[in-house]
Amino acid sequence: MQTRRTFILSAAAAPLFARAAVADDAIKLRDLYERRGTGLSELATELVGQRINVAGFMAPPLKAESNFFVLTKMPMSVCPFCETDAEWPNDILAVYTQRIVDVTPFNVGITVSGVLEVGSYRDPETGFVSLVRLMDARVG
Amino acid sequence: MKTTLSISALAVFASGAVFAQDIAQADNDWFVAGQTTIQEILDRQENTNQAKNVILLVADGNGVGTNYAVRLFAGQQEGQLGEEHVLPYETADFHSALVKTYNINAQTPDSAPTAGAMNTGVKQRFNLINLGGDAIHDDCSTVAGNELTTFAEIVTGMDKSVGVISTARLTHATPAGVYAKTANRNWEDSVPEGCTAQVDIASQLVNAMEAGIVDFAMGGGGRYFMPEGASNGTISGRRADGVDLVAKAGEMGVQFASDTASFDALTMDAPVLALFNDSHMEYEADRADDDEPSLADMTAKAIEFLSQNENGYYLEIEAGRVDHANHDGNAYRTLADGVAFAEAVAKADELTNDEDTLIIVTADHEHAIAFNGYCGRGSDITGLCYGVSKEGEMHSDELNLAADGKPYTVIGYLNGAGSVLTEQEDGTFAGSRPDLTQEDATDIDYMQQSLIPMSSETHSGEDVAVYAKGPWAHLFDGTIEQNVIFHVMNHAVNAE
Repeated sequence: MQTRRTFILSAAAAPLFARAAVADDAIKLRDLYERRGTGLSELATELVGQRINVAGFMAPPLKAESNFFVLTKMPMSVCPFCETDAEWPNDILAVYTQRIVDVTPFNVGITVSGVLEVGSYRDPETGFVSLVRLMDARVG
Repeated sequence: MKTTLSISALAVFASGAVFAQDIAQADNDWFVAGQTTIQEILDRQENTNQAKNVILLVADGNGVGTNYAVRLFAGQQEGQLGEEHVLPYETADFHSALVKTYNINAQTPDSAPTAGAMNTGVKQRFNLINLGGDAIHDDCSTVAGNELTTFAEIVTGMDKSVGVISTARLTHATPAGVYAKTANRNWEDSVPEGCTAQVDIASQLVNAMEAGIVDFAMGGGGRYFMPEGASNGTISGRRADGVDLVAKAGEMGVQFASDTASFDALTMDAPVLALFNDSHMEYEADRADDDEPSLADMTAKAIEFLSQNENGYYLEIEAGRVDHANHDGNAYRTLADGVAFAEAVAKADELTNDEDTLIIVTADHEHAIAFNGYCGRGSDITGLCYGVSKEGEMHSDELNLAADGKPYTVIGYLNGAGSVLTEQEDGTFAGSRPDLTQEDATDIDYMQQSLIPMSSETHSGEDVAVYAKGPWAHLFDGTIEQNVIFHVMNHAVNAE
């Protein structure tokens, strides 16, 4: 089930952070999901195949020197007393970038531009299964 | 302070109406309301009945500060300024005390030993549940001989029923405090290889149901009750040992629910195990009624079921995610879950009788939450601090500005992911406060600014409050150790 899945995070954040910025015309990541629901929103359905700007936060990358990261609506705060493993929230967006990702701190807002894609896809390197993605993406 | 205030107010009131009429403010609404409060306190009758039922309601992480914010949030949601609001457990028919929450070896407590203290009557060690002070965290060899007797076991011996509800995983610390004994709160679905002195927490719950100790269990955390790779359409299992505890419970005659539809279909003729999510249940702000029941709905169902036992029951109810949203530094979800907790308290009170039911409302610990000033009345508790108006009650239209010329929110956190200090390219931390609008600050996903950079905001050792009504509730007074809560419960059910 898409919104109930869990993955174990490996903290492999690269040491250098890029400068971050949030664009004014970006939609919020949460707007791609149903409010108080478990599926994608009508807006997400309408935007499939289009290049869009999405505001969010870069979760600590699963793999260094990668063109893949996960965008979260809020900083990936990891509570040692709430979780035995770090867990993904319900509403996330997989991002595949044009170039190797310049990592930004997990709590600094960014905007990602990319082409919205839906459908199950298993990342061959990390095994991460995503149902909604931004492809051919760039940050900032 | 409470006693001093009561005495001084009594002195004014007791001196008679003639004297009162000489006071210029005697007709002032605040003056009259103060007199009314005194009369309500005077009218209190000590309830020394034997408690047939005990309901312990715990909002995890809802210390005095967080509860203050919940009060304002609840009031503002109802169209009030907020400060004047009275939560269901803040009325004069509830007795109250301050509670010291530290653990044996921790100034700042975690939820495992705090739940254990309330369920056994003794303080416990950091990250352990219901083991004595000689047990060591993460050391299975120290379990044997250190197991404590729980309140659930005591009342089971009195032929009462036991229920446990949580919006967190049922294997999480506070609900586990009802039924589990473990050297590590994180052994939710497995124990280390070679550990034979205890089983994992999920297994302990089902074992407790099999033993007739727990009769009603409802919350999140279904993944720890089903084998890895197994799914019932709502829950996906994660148990590496392949054990299907849901199936085992079914073979024991236990009813099972995993969504609102199956919750609604539960009957009153068999024990209940309900697991509504793989992990924690949704935050109240994100919950859909057709997906998961509310905490108040679960409370009503539990009381309906447990009330069938003519010998009574013990029910622990936890709002587990007030804590989680505080850890996120996200005030909106913290307070929305706090309101859901208050609604559960009101529901429990509505469905029970003060003559035979002791209701206790408390928190296990506080957080590193703090409040800025000087804000005018009615400033949105999730939003920016507006100035104090010279006339009327409502705040002015002017935002209070800090020395950096920027506005700031009413709520802040001392640490957490919302830190204004962010990691720089050279690995150092630096920064300044971002610009902030009221629209930004009141957004459901906004994380209040904090100082010290951490991946997750922390608990604090600050006191929490306890409120109670029903048999022996008047024993709550002054400033008490957290383990005293057990002793009030134990006294109430045993009183002759």
